[in-house]
Amino acid sequence: MGEMNVIGKRMAMTDARAKVTGLGRYADDLSVPGMLYGRILHSPHPHARIRSVDTLAAEALEGVKAVATGRDAPTPYGILPIGHDERVLALDKARYIGDNVAAVAATSPEIAEEALRLIRVDYEPLPAWFDPLESMKAEENWIHEKRAHNIEKEYHHHFGNVDEGFAQADFVLEDRYYCGEVTHAAMEPHSTLAVWEPNERLTVYSSTQVPFYLHRTLSAVCEMPMSRIRVVKPLVGGGFGGKSEIIPLEVAASVLAKKARRPVKITYTREEVFYAHRGRPITIVDLKLGITKEGRITAAQARIVQDGGAYCGYGPVTVLYSGALLNALYDIPNVKFDGFRVLTNKPACGAMRGHGTVNARFAFESMLDQIAARAGLDPVELRRRNLLKAPCTTPNGLRVTSYGLPECIERVAERSGWAEKRGKLGKGRGIGFACSHYVSGAANPIIRSNMPHTTVNIKIDRDAGITVYSGASEIGQGSDTMHVQIVAEVLGVRPERVNLVAADTELTPVDLGSYSSRVTFMAGNACLNAARNMRAQILGPVARQFDCETDDLEMRDETIVSKNGAGVSMSFDDAVALAMVGEGALVAKGTYAPPEQARGGKFKGAGVGPSPSYSYSAQAVEVKVDRETGQVKVERVVAAHDCGRALNPLTVDGQVQGSVYMGMGQAVQEEMVWREGRLMNPSFLEYRLPTTLETPQIESIIVESIDPEGPFGAKEAGEGSLAAAIPAIANAIYDAVGVRITDVPITPERVLAALRAKEEAEKGGAR
Amino acid sequence: MIPAAFEYFAPKNLDEALRLVERHGDEAKLLAGGHSLLPLMKLRLSAPRYVIDIGRIRALHGVREEDGRLVIGALTTHHDVESSELVRQRCLLLAEAAAEIGDVQVRNRGTVGGSLAHADPAADYPAAMLALEAEIVATSSGGSRAIPAGEFFVDLLTTQLRPDEILTEVRVPVAGRRSGGAYRKLHQPASGFALVGVAARVRLGEGEKIESVAIGMTGVAAHAYRAATAEQALAGKKPGAKLLGEAAGRVTEGVDTLGDMHGSAGYRRAVATVYARRALEAAIARAGGKTA
Ligand SMILES: Cc1cc2nc3c(=O)[nH]c(=O)nc-3n(C[C@H](O)[C@H](O)[C@H](O)COP(=O)(O)OP(=O)(O)OC[C@H]3O[C@@H](n4cnc5c(N)ncnc54)[C@H](O)[C@@H]3O)c2cc1C
Repeated sequence: MGEMNVIGKRMAMTDARAKVTGLGRYADDLSVPGMLYGRILHSPHPHARIRSVDTLAAEALEGVKAVATGRDAPTPYGILPIGHDERVLALDKARYIGDNVAAVAATSPEIAEEALRLIRVDYEPLPAWFDPLESMKAEENWIHEKRAHNIEKEYHHHFGNVDEGFAQADFVLEDRYYCGEVTHAAMEPHSTLAVWEPNERLTVYSSTQVPFYLHRTLSAVCEMPMSRIRVVKPLVGGGFGGKSEIIPLEVAASVLAKKARRPVKITYTREEVFYAHRGRPITIVDLKLGITKEGRITAAQARIVQDGGAYCGYGPVTVLYSGALLNALYDIPNVKFDGFRVLTNKPACGAMRGHGTVNARFAFESMLDQIAARAGLDPVELRRRNLLKAPCTTPNGLRVTSYGLPECIERVAERSGWAEKRGKLGKGRGIGFACSHYVSGAANPIIRSNMPHTTVNIKIDRDAGITVYSGASEIGQGSDTMHVQIVAEVLGVRPERVNLVAADTELTPVDLGSYSSRVTFMAGNACLNAARNMRAQILGPVARQFDCETDDLEMRDETIVSKNGAGVSMSFDDAVALAMVGEGALVAKGTYAPPEQARGGKFKGAGVGPSPSYSYSAQAVEVKVDRETGQVKVERVVAAHDCGRALNPLTVDGQVQGSVYMGMGQAVQEEMVWREGRLMNPSFLEYRLPTTLETPQIESIIVESIDPEGPFGAKEAGEGSLAAAIPAIANAIYDAVGVRITDVPITPERVLAALRAKEEAEKGGAR
Repeated sequence: MIPAAFEYFAPKNLDEALRLVERHGDEAKLLAGGHSLLPLMKLRLSAPRYVIDIGRIRALHGVREEDGRLVIGALTTHHDVESSELVRQRCLLLAEAAAEIGDVQVRNRGTVGGSLAHADPAADYPAAMLALEAEIVATSSGGSRAIPAGEFFVDLLTTQLRPDEILTEVRVPVAGRRSGGAYRKLHQPASGFALVGVAARVRLGEGEKIESVAIGMTGVAAHAYRAATAEQALAGKKPGAKLLGEAAGRVTEGVDTLGDMHGSAGYRRAVATVYARRALEAAIARAGGKTA
């Protein structure tokens, strides 16, 4: 590939100015004439039969224009075809505190709020399940009648033979790891404006990562053909997975709008966002690992239980990722996985940055350090001895096409001063190391089909402006900018010439959405194909006019020139005008579908985990521990991330830093605290999100392995670095004060208790 | 997140405000910085019929020195206390406590009077006022009374203030020679409130002995309190590492310790000891004493 002008350059995001100046419009900033304000009534019971809902008084309140209950929209839905177990408003049962029971639309938020107070619901409370380990033993009172013993799904995978593997090992370790529940905490609360149009169509503006799935679901629940519904995604203020399913307010606003024949907006309060949730579940990992004296891993076995909450959501996918991605980071010949997704009477969990892999990776990378200590090996050296020989396919069918992990490890070891620092930082200070990886999109779509996962169109008309139409959803990760860069690079123009129309189901072709880090790889490839197609349309007539081959030409600096510098030189505008002779506006299309070989094995659950390529990450973290109080301060993080090629190093750095920050929050302070199904901390006064004050220096190192199939060699950058942060911190704490914490978050209280227990044990030993 | 309906008043001077509280008493809430009241109203944990916004009463703003005391108007913001040269010079402990409150936005809005009247069990000023032996002045149409800080805090969110009274100012005695004070705090990471806050003030006397000592504790119990047994253990003694450790170990003695998701009662007790020792060490050092 020749020298590039736009790709690989640090470029401010195309929407940065609007966001920074406050001019950008998010869903809640939108309003239309005649708009009503919607509110949702939530269940105060964790598990209750709904005997009746009396809405008469609410309907009679002046200013109330529509009241809806489960009967108005009885069609069940869910993000997975195998999990259609939700209704926008409960019909028969409420399954968690916060479950949606009724909704109102009124002329002011105050009236809507007042109307909720007038709705009488007759509940019959039922015994409820809160602890996943208890819930999965339930003999009665199942949360969904069809899900016996409250087990949503279980999977049992065995590749190679772990018994033989453990027999070959010189050191075998078993331990249990516990991870508390965390949530996305996007700055923007969910918001939806549903507009009932005069021509009996429905337009829905929503803070979503998945306009296409929302479109489908609205069609089913509102009983309208998709062709009469339009979904538009305005600016989204962060998703992290929390907007990657259909969220009740999106459907409720639409149902109310249809009923009232008026526009209806609903914006969640922060408390409602916490209860809508869909974040990372409580996870219990029982892990067993074997290594030889030389440090080769011989077998890994994991039993993973996830507390999924009251509905399926992405649950089966979450638990499958936790098993599938035990593979494809290191070379492990024998792997066994037993995964359980359990239902409880709490809000549903779902996808959250690093979907499914994060808690399993915490357990695995912690145990690597524990077993390294047992075997007397340097933890980094142990990781070096278990690298994959890529390209390769893992025992569970994951195809690794590019593998920058070795370089990540070496660069982090060097930059962090690992060799000089480990065990030598002095009292209360330590350094820890860990690795992680992630998919660049799922090779199999959620709803199986043989259609491309994404299609991008490009149009050029007489203004010679380039308009790109893509269904991909910018959620702050840089999706829009990525499209602009790719098109500008291929067509040799300034980025300012490129305009993007995105995520509007009426104008843009389908893209499956912003989840599983698929956008750069998949929409990026489709965009690249569309741009190449457009390039051919422009270069053809130029080549004919100058009587040369299109291969002899290149597009750069807004001109078309000969590669060898001889002869041809034509401005982009002139070339476009030439191409339009007899043709009119130029239109090009590109698509992307993952190749057949990337789609994984044939066993039950094989569909989750396969990706066209994987990102890799290594991290070193320095911490300071106050031995008297157990307070942990993360002081420095060095994080290397293999993103294939950094299309925009500025945004890659940002994504790596953001991932590390989120991992750090989960590692040392964030946790949703539940009591009998009630969230004790549904606000930022109580939910311990780190701020910039607690965030250390995060040095990001970009490693470019140039993936053979990624657009310009690019792959995932937005999630993969998260998982390593948590075990790296746990490992650093061990280096600092010699205690191994296996429960996350690693609160000061847990550290202090471990320190005291250690002192006691040492005293006992000395006696 | 929408408060119940209420009637709003914005009196321009203290007399007008006093007449309003006299008339509406129990059904009214005073609004100062709003950083405690408004969240409660939005959650409808508080639904006053009348809200009396006292923010426009100029006379209640600011810090001055009078007869060997700092006089701090009830509407003085945390930021104004933290950045006042006068407070820094005369009473570093108080400036330190103010600087530890919440975040910048909170310090720009929240007021001394609001914080004391609200009496949150994890608020910082109450510990400071106890250690400083300040007086809290409550004014009604009938006149003013000065309540010693030691008597002011009654229980969780409960003080000696009557519904017809407005907290108008706080009087803090300025310490003499050989005195030092310090505030040390462990933050609840989300809100910034105190998981444990310790205000320590000491005066050294003859033979380097501790002539007087006061320790104010917050975050640990339903309301701020003086750690009396720890104070007794220190009084009249020469400070040293062993003595401080022992005394600090007694700061939660006889106290019904709070526990919540941010720290169990046991954890709070453990950390209270550590922070009490650190606060005492700093206070003694500032008084010109040695602890090592
Ligand atoms: C995010 C956040 C973090 C915080 N962190 C901390 C912290 O770390 N430490 C800390 O100490 N505080 C903290 N606070 C509380 C903050 O300091 C409040 O500002 C303070 O507690 C109340 O002061 P205010 O002026 O806002 O009072 P308001 O909210 O206006 O009033 C509080 C109560 O006091 C009454 N009141 C107010 N003024 C008077 C008066 N002059 N006379 C009689 N009654 C009166 C009101 O009627 C009301 O009942 C935090 C608050 C927030 C929102």
